[in-house]
Amino acid sequence: MDHLEFLFAGFAVFWAGILVYLLLLQARLRALTRELERLEERLAESAPRTPDAQGADESPAEEGA
Amino acid sequence: MVSDLLRFAWGQAERAAALRWAVLPPLAGVAMFVLLVGAVIAAPREVVEGEVQRIFYIHVPSALAAYLGVGITVLASVALLWRRDMRWDAVARAGAMTGVLFTGLTLATGMIWGKPIWGVWWTWDARLTSTLILFLLYSAYLLARQLADETDEQAARFGAIFAIVAFVDIPIINMSVRWWRTLHPQPIVFDPFGEQALPGSMMLVLAVGIVAVGALALWLVVLRAEAEGLAQRAAAVRHLIDRREAR
Repeated sequence: MDHLEFLFAGFAVFWAGILVYLLLLQARLRALTRELERLEERLAESAPRTPDAQGADESPAEEGA
Repeated sequence: MVSDLLRFAWGQAERAAALRWAVLPPLAGVAMFVLLVGAVIAAPREVVEGEVQRIFYIHVPSALAAYLGVGITVLASVALLWRRDMRWDAVARAGAMTGVLFTGLTLATGMIWGKPIWGVWWTWDARLTSTLILFLLYSAYLLARQLADETDEQAARFGAIFAIVAFVDIPIINMSVRWWRTLHPQPIVFDPFGEQALPGSMMLVLAVGIVAVGALALWLVVLRAEAEGLAQRAAAVRHLIDRREAR
């Protein structure tokens, strides 16, 4: 009547779900941080040598970031 | 007035986000441990269903955490439509992801609990079906937002309207056990129309569960919002590089 195997399964599914999601989220955060660093390096490389009227005031913040 | 309120809300959210590692994980961790001990050892054995009834202590908090996630999505969607600030879109998506996660866990733990008690894993009962619809609605929202560019403001606004309309399912879930004949039990915890049916010791463990899973859900929303914010920034930098290289 107690169905202990179902009790164990219920708790296991709950904890496993949280753990897997946390690991995936951490991996995504790490990947995004790396990608952003790489993109910002590329942005600095592509920056105009001399500040001109077009390029000097461009920033990602203006793009809605 | 509303703008000031939204600015204040964003300020508070940023302050709370700064404490994401200092407060929420230790609180959730300690409360989770207490919940586990309380649910498995301290709470009394239910006389009709037996030990399997202890799933209740994670099933109900998961459902409430799902409502919390979806509620954050709706509030952030309203703020996005009001302020047209894409930072709220990141918060809305984070809330929806957390809501979908905990709706899935509510359905899964409910099925595991239902099999030995009802004899079936699933039945097209009004409470179960409306909860599945909630899961599908916000999964569709996340899929649609995933397919659009992170910086696409029009897609974000359409998504916000969809997220607000989809919230109608929450009162339907709550009232489903009153409006239709269902296998799912009537509310015994938060029943404003009836008397308290849960013993104090069970109520205490449930309260710990709500705090534990609630803190965990909030932490996951904050982490996810950070990830969505980074994705928005990366997309914006990518557009800028493309524009410069196209010149």
